[in-house]
Amino acid sequence: MNNIIRNCIYQGKNLFRDGSFLFWGMTYPIIMAVFFYAAFNGMMNVNIEDINIGIKENKGISNILEEIDFINVHKIDESEVSEKLESGEIDAFVDGNLNLIVKKSGINQTIIKEVVEQIKQILKLNRPVDGSEFSVSYVTGKNQEANSIVVIFYSLIAMVSTYGIYAGIATASLVQANLSNIGIRINATPLRKENFLIAGVIVSFLMNLLANAILLLFINYVLKIHLFNDIKYSAVFIILGNLFGVILGIFIGVSNKKSSNTKTLIAIAVTLLLSFFSGMMGPWIKVMLDEYIPFLNRINPVSIITNNLYRINLLGSTRSAVEGAIMLLFYCMVFLLLSYVFLRRKSYDSI
Amino acid sequence: MRMIVKVKNVVKRYSEKIALDHFNMEVYEGEILGLLGPNGCGKTTAINCILSLLSFDKGEIEVFGKKMTPNSYDIKRQIGLVPQEVSVFENLTVRENIDYFCGLYVDDKNVRKRYVDEAIEFVDLKDYVKFYPKKLSGGLKRRLNIACGIVHKPKLIFMDEPTVAVDAQSRNFILEGIKRLNGESSTVVYTTHYLEEAEMLCSRIVIMDNGKDIVSGTTEELKAMITTSEKIVVSFVSIEDSVASLMKGIPHVIDIERNGEDFIIKFENGINNLSNLLSFITEHNLTYTKLYSKLPTLNDVFLELTGKELRD
Ligand SMILES: Nc1ncnc2c1ncn2[C@@H]1O[C@H](COP(=O)(O)OP(=O)(O)OP(=O)(O)O)[C@@H](O)[C@H]1O
Ligand SMILES: [Mg+2]
Repeated sequence: MNNIIRNCIYQGKNLFRDGSFLFWGMTYPIIMAVFFYAAFNGMMNVNIEDINIGIKENKGISNILEEIDFINVHKIDESEVSEKLESGEIDAFVDGNLNLIVKKSGINQTIIKEVVEQIKQILKLNRPVDGSEFSVSYVTGKNQEANSIVVIFYSLIAMVSTYGIYAGIATASLVQANLSNIGIRINATPLRKENFLIAGVIVSFLMNLLANAILLLFINYVLKIHLFNDIKYSAVFIILGNLFGVILGIFIGVSNKKSSNTKTLIAIAVTLLLSFFSGMMGPWIKVMLDEYIPFLNRINPVSIITNNLYRINLLGSTRSAVEGAIMLLFYCMVFLLLSYVFLRRKSYDSI
Repeated sequence: MRMIVKVKNVVKRYSEKIALDHFNMEVYEGEILGLLGPNGCGKTTAINCILSLLSFDKGEIEVFGKKMTPNSYDIKRQIGLVPQEVSVFENLTVRENIDYFCGLYVDDKNVRKRYVDEAIEFVDLKDYVKFYPKKLSGGLKRRLNIACGIVHKPKLIFMDEPTVAVDAQSRNFILEGIKRLNGESSTVVYTTHYLEEAEMLCSRIVIMDNGKDIVSGTTEELKAMITTSEKIVVSFVSIEDSVASLMKGIPHVIDIERNGEDFIIKFENGINNLSNLLSFITEHNLTYTKLYSKLPTLNDVFLELTGKELRD
């Protein structure tokens, strides 16, 4: 225990003073945030107007939808649906079986989808649906200029929450005799590799969490974009994102003998790709995937974090929170186990 | 004396390349053992196998009488390693690095502080304790590398070419330090390809080539093993080739080499060689400008045993 604390202190110092951590971990996410703010804010800085939903007359659902503040319900005939969707008079049409028909992909459609999904869930439980449940969180969301840019920010936060991946890779390299000179020395001492790694995980996790906190404060107080209505649930996902990142880094670090540079490139590619699919380069990709390959967003860890941050804070829905958290924990367990398998091989064939 | 390291018939292959070829070595308590051999002969591989950092294909290794494994933490506790490459944390200062590694062996805070101070003294880095390694010159980095390996006062120290790239003054300082460590009851295994260092420092030497231990013994024992026991260098004001060739007839001469004006005459069996040569010189009325005798060096030993010079 003593040993682990001492290792935490020294590894923490070593990581914190590292120029690449200070830049990539601390500064770069802030630069990205400013960049996104500049690039997207002007372009999309429109308040979402009320959402227009088309619906067939005399269905119980229309009462519920009408109760929701921000939704205008238009009773229309099925024959008009296509035309009205085309013209933009309605954003979506809900048929008698609560199926959603849309022509475009966009933030309004995503919100409608969330709402309808939630109504379906509630109906399944045979609970009376109260339209006001939906208004509260959304109204706050709306006051915060809810627009597409927030999705991008949730995605950015999701991505940087996994940035512990780099510290994870570095830790793995320091403890392996075939990967670094320090590794040779450490393997010759009585220090157990597990303890070095545990300390590395703790330190990488805390450091990245600190970097995340700084980014969030920056977004909140400097860019003045208010992203969080439900801090507790949001924190769960950011913390899980951190854990996932560090453990994935350890796994990439111990599972192969590629150079540290190659591993870092792998990590960059992995995080960027996952973030891209989760909507960081514009919400259209996320909306499109939701539409055509919803499976992918349900297993993509960065999407899980993005989607949950978005649902929790913008829609006040924790519908998928438990599933998402379990999924992320599952990933952590799997990569931790695999890393352990790779580490168990004790002497090296070649140094 | 107690044997504390035993390496028997160890074979280590890196895919195709054989790095250790039935290698044998013994280390006795209290000695400074020199592992001497040219670049690429397998010195570092041997150390890494002994420490169980590397797996090997065949053979046995015992340290302090027990089979060495990667989990032999109680054995590792008594060992110090100064690796060939500088192996320190880039973002920890000199003092933090030494303290970190000391702490892996020594729990008591006060003892640790004393040990760290002594190690800093030992490598003379007092003026640099707050420096980061990247701000240290190559030689100073090597001294830090040494300090990190010996700070916990291990019973058995492996030093892998610690003086490479160190200036002559620092080198002497380090060599003196190693003798002091040895005096304080550390056994030292010292690899080098510098003959002079091995000769000056080590109480016993294992000569290694191509992954094999060629021969081992004290410097004197090694020198006694070869036939050339003395070399005399002489150069003359002038000498006819015919006369020069007559020198081969002097008793005990094995071979004569000519290097410009200098004749290097190799003798076996050391007695009376110089007086025999002087008689030859008077006999032929020769005038010489210089004349001196060289005792055999480890290089001669190496040359005779392996057929090649041990030079960088
Ligand atoms: N990881 C490796 N993979 C393949 N071959 C290796 C590896 N490490 C060393 N070798 C080869 O094994 C042989 C022994 O290497 P080793 O480093 O033990 O030599 P050395 O005596 O320490 O040399 P030096 O004086 O240059 O440090 C060399 O021929 C080297 O090229
Ligand atoms: Mg070597």
